[in-house]
Amino acid sequence: MAFTAKTEAYPASVIPVTIGTGEKAITLGGNHALPFCSFDAPIQNAPKIGMEIPDAGIRAYLQAGLCEFYQGCTCPAEMAKRAASVPGVSFLCLHLESADPNGENKSAAECAALARSVAGATDLPLVIMGCKNAAKDAEIFAAIAEALQGRNILLLSACEENYKSVCTAALSYGQKIGAESAVDINLAKQLNVLITQLGAAPSSVVMNVGSAAAGYGYEYVASTIDRIRAAALAQSDDLLQMPIITPVADEAWSVKEAIVPEADMPAWGDAEKRGIEMEITTAAAYLTCGSDAVILRHPAAVSAIADMLAALI
Amino acid sequence: MALKGLDIFKLSPKKNCRECGCPTCMSFCMKVAQGAASLDSCPHFSPEAIAALLEATAPPMKTVSVGNDLKLGGETVLFRHEKTFVSRNRFAVSVCTSMEDTAVKERLSGLQKIDYERIGEREYIEFVLVHCTTDAAGKWEALVKSAAATGRTLILDCENPDCAKRALAICADGKPILNGANAENYAEMNAIALEYGVVLGVRGENLSKLYDTVKQLEALGNKNLILDVTGKDAKETFANAVLVRRTALKDGDRTLGYPSIVNLARIARGNLSLQTALAAAFTLKYGSVIVMEQMCYAQALPLYGLRQNIFTDPQKPMKVTPGIYPMNGATPDDPCLITVDFALTYFLVSGEIERSGVPVNLLITDASGMSVLTAWAAGKFSASTVKAFFDGQDIASKIRSRILVIPGKVAVMRGEIQEKLPEWKVISGTKEAVELVKYLKDGEHLKAAAAPVKSAAPRMGGKLVIPDIVHRDMGVSYKPRNAQSKKFVIIGERIHCISPVIREAMATFNPDPILERAAQQIKAGATYLDVNIGPAESNGPELMTWAVRLLQEDFNNVPLALDTTNSKAIEAGIRVYNRTNGKPIVNSADAGSRISNIDLAAANDAIVIALCSADGIAKDNEERMHHCHTMLERGLSLGMDASDLWFDPLFLVVKGMQEKQMDVLNAIRMFSDEGLNSTGGLSNSSNGAPKAIRPIMDSALIAMAMMQGLTSAIVNPNDRRLMETVRSCDIIKNNELYSDSYLEI
Repeated sequence: MAFTAKTEAYPASVIPVTIGTGEKAITLGGNHALPFCSFDAPIQNAPKIGMEIPDAGIRAYLQAGLCEFYQGCTCPAEMAKRAASVPGVSFLCLHLESADPNGENKSAAECAALARSVAGATDLPLVIMGCKNAAKDAEIFAAIAEALQGRNILLLSACEENYKSVCTAALSYGQKIGAESAVDINLAKQLNVLITQLGAAPSSVVMNVGSAAAGYGYEYVASTIDRIRAAALAQSDDLLQMPIITPVADEAWSVKEAIVPEADMPAWGDAEKRGIEMEITTAAAYLTCGSDAVILRHPAAVSAIADMLAALI
Repeated sequence: MALKGLDIFKLSPKKNCRECGCPTCMSFCMKVAQGAASLDSCPHFSPEAIAALLEATAPPMKTVSVGNDLKLGGETVLFRHEKTFVSRNRFAVSVCTSMEDTAVKERLSGLQKIDYERIGEREYIEFVLVHCTTDAAGKWEALVKSAAATGRTLILDCENPDCAKRALAICADGKPILNGANAENYAEMNAIALEYGVVLGVRGENLSKLYDTVKQLEALGNKNLILDVTGKDAKETFANAVLVRRTALKDGDRTLGYPSIVNLARIARGNLSLQTALAAAFTLKYGSVIVMEQMCYAQALPLYGLRQNIFTDPQKPMKVTPGIYPMNGATPDDPCLITVDFALTYFLVSGEIERSGVPVNLLITDASGMSVLTAWAAGKFSASTVKAFFDGQDIASKIRSRILVIPGKVAVMRGEIQEKLPEWKVISGTKEAVELVKYLKDGEHLKAAAAPVKSAAPRMGGKLVIPDIVHRDMGVSYKPRNAQSKKFVIIGERIHCISPVIREAMATFNPDPILERAAQQIKAGATYLDVNIGPAESNGPELMTWAVRLLQEDFNNVPLALDTTNSKAIEAGIRVYNRTNGKPIVNSADAGSRISNIDLAAANDAIVIALCSADGIAKDNEERMHHCHTMLERGLSLGMDASDLWFDPLFLVVKGMQEKQMDVLNAIRMFSDEGLNSTGGLSNSSNGAPKAIRPIMDSALIAMAMMQGLTSAIVNPNDRRLMETVRSCDIIKNNELYSDSYLEI
């Protein structure tokens, strides 16, 4: 008798979560199998690629190739337009680093104005990423959730320290909640428990379970996501069935391999090329483990990951 | 893979002849499954049945060795958290007979440039795949020769038996892989592979064909195979890689239990960045050898980093290499800070030092990857280990400064280190890493170094003095228990120098906090009290003598567990120990560096807690039981009674090792089935959980563990819920006769 491999039928699936509106709205999650395992169950929603838009504008970037790509853009809104034109990009992520009280400390009103201008420049779904200061993020998310009412944006992210206010803002203005934990399956679940206890439907939550660049503790990420997906699909744990989004750009572009100038390490070659490959490797690893969306910086990395998704789906 | 008794029974002769000594075939098969009997003792098992059983117990996936002992395969799990991945994937670049000579030359010299070290591992391109096209003509041998000259292991990618022979005549010594057996040519290719003794790569149009060809090769007696799972495109290749591995490991079909080759040069030709992305995907999902067209440093750096992460054993703590780490441009004239090699500690401490901007030399000492306090309590970070580190690394000649700052949490061993390193000015620094920035910026370490030396521990004329024992009525007396009782033994854990109060009390020989905690625990129902004095290198014997006398004299000879890595201290404690209410317990021995504590217990007629680990946590129950039997044999050979070895499976924390909890419980069952006593630090399992939750988890676990046969635990007797659970379980196990007031007696 001819050999046929057994397929895996899971009793549950990842919850589909939609962000954005209209034709360009995207759905993350919804799959009944592990990534790229279309032989187990058809893939409902392919993973999505988003591009990062720094609030500081083009001056946030030093790499020649990146600068060339964004040449002529005078503000984040113009960068957003350019990024939206890259094939494979299906959402944008405005990164509000300048809100950091220990940095430029931009006010919530300024952030909201900027978010409005970026939103005005594109009809792609928007993810808003904060400055990692829990209190300040709560403040800016509240202002932006209100300013972009009706756009169904994703607030990235609510964490243990600020989930109450972030959830309230998201629920009041019909936005989606990003639940952020630091590479710990127990914390990830706990935060989802707390957020759903506040009245958020599971279909309004996307998890960010923590990031690490390839070579920098990625094993913890891999095992955390493996276990989260096993719990979601095999154990039907509905508090871990939310889709996963991962900001890859920041991690990938801040490790030694992406930073050290060629002059210091001639054998390594061009630094920008190294950053691109680091971003590709890290993003590919996340998508293979189970991330439903990645946020990238470099158009060359976007193109490679788009190729990979096309090849595997 | 373990076989169940019923599986064996199905193949048994079912004669019930009793020639094996068992009353029935069924009971014999059950014993075989447990490892308590061997199949040999049955004369009637058919050779076919024996072969089938051997096959069923073989590992699910073969390990093949190629080149200069590169191991491929041998995996046992689909996800690393289930145990660990074993053989890291390897990378290849490919050359082909259709390439121009200059291009071949460039690629072969290019691949050799990538060769570097990353955290103790050599990273290089291990393989060259040499592809033979049909119109190879005269180029084939020349190509094989120049590829072999790189010194890398070759994959001869060739389906033509004649070409295979010609290539192997050149390079068989390098133990290459002959990758090209298919449904048509397998018999010929097999003969060639066997003749040259090389691993044979098998391929098929689809998985079903591949499967059949493997079956046919196995029938020809060849199990030295590797499967080329490359399909017509990336999607099919991914499916093949996953299904092959899953079939072998999950469904237990060994026909596909071989390592794999994934050839990206075939499915992503020309798109190098796509090859990077796919290489990352196949590193995670089951490529054993990943072939790329070419690789540059920019691709290698993240891919090798990812591989190193994924193939790290999840049960071994991440460690930093011991040595001198100059920070903020430090020179040998700048002062030193010392800490342990636990990766998280290192990242935390080095991060804070960097933030301070103050140049210092960070010294990382070998502490088996434990955190500061844990390492200190386990004797892995002590004055002797620091001294050994200074000597081993020859710090004194590499560093000119003579200022050494130790972590404030282990200030208690400052004097001991000072004594061992008299040339140095030893200072105790901050308790927490976050305090370092201010500490260093304010130059506190330099101020402390300039201050006059404070006198060390109480000493007179070079001899340590043990203070007199001051007796005090704590209003509690230890109630002796019946030596024959089967009741659960509670070892109170609260007198432990990891607690700051007790550490301080022991440093100053202050009896009050120790007596107070002893009284509480005895009142709450502790059978034994654990006395942990830390490594106490300078005054261990005196300190233990003092503590034993203090506790036993004040509490009616309460029995004690003497807990330290300092064996001199344990011996001194036993010398003054009163056995009226129970033998002393030596806490603890293991199957590794601390196995000699079994000898110590044997020589002193003591009980010993035997940790079923050697270096690090046992990876499975097979290893746990192996350690258990090593220690049991040693104890018995020294004349100990088996009941005096209390085996500790090592309870693991739920937050992090949730999937290992049942393993630990099953190990307890195995001890109990062999009639052995067991114990362990059970509340470790709820470590990190909220305070209100811990008693609930601990009592559930102790009930389950008692059901499995646990006979003792090292716990906090002040946890009322836990103690009530233990008492209730003792009632249900019929270890104590029931009365309505059983909780109070």
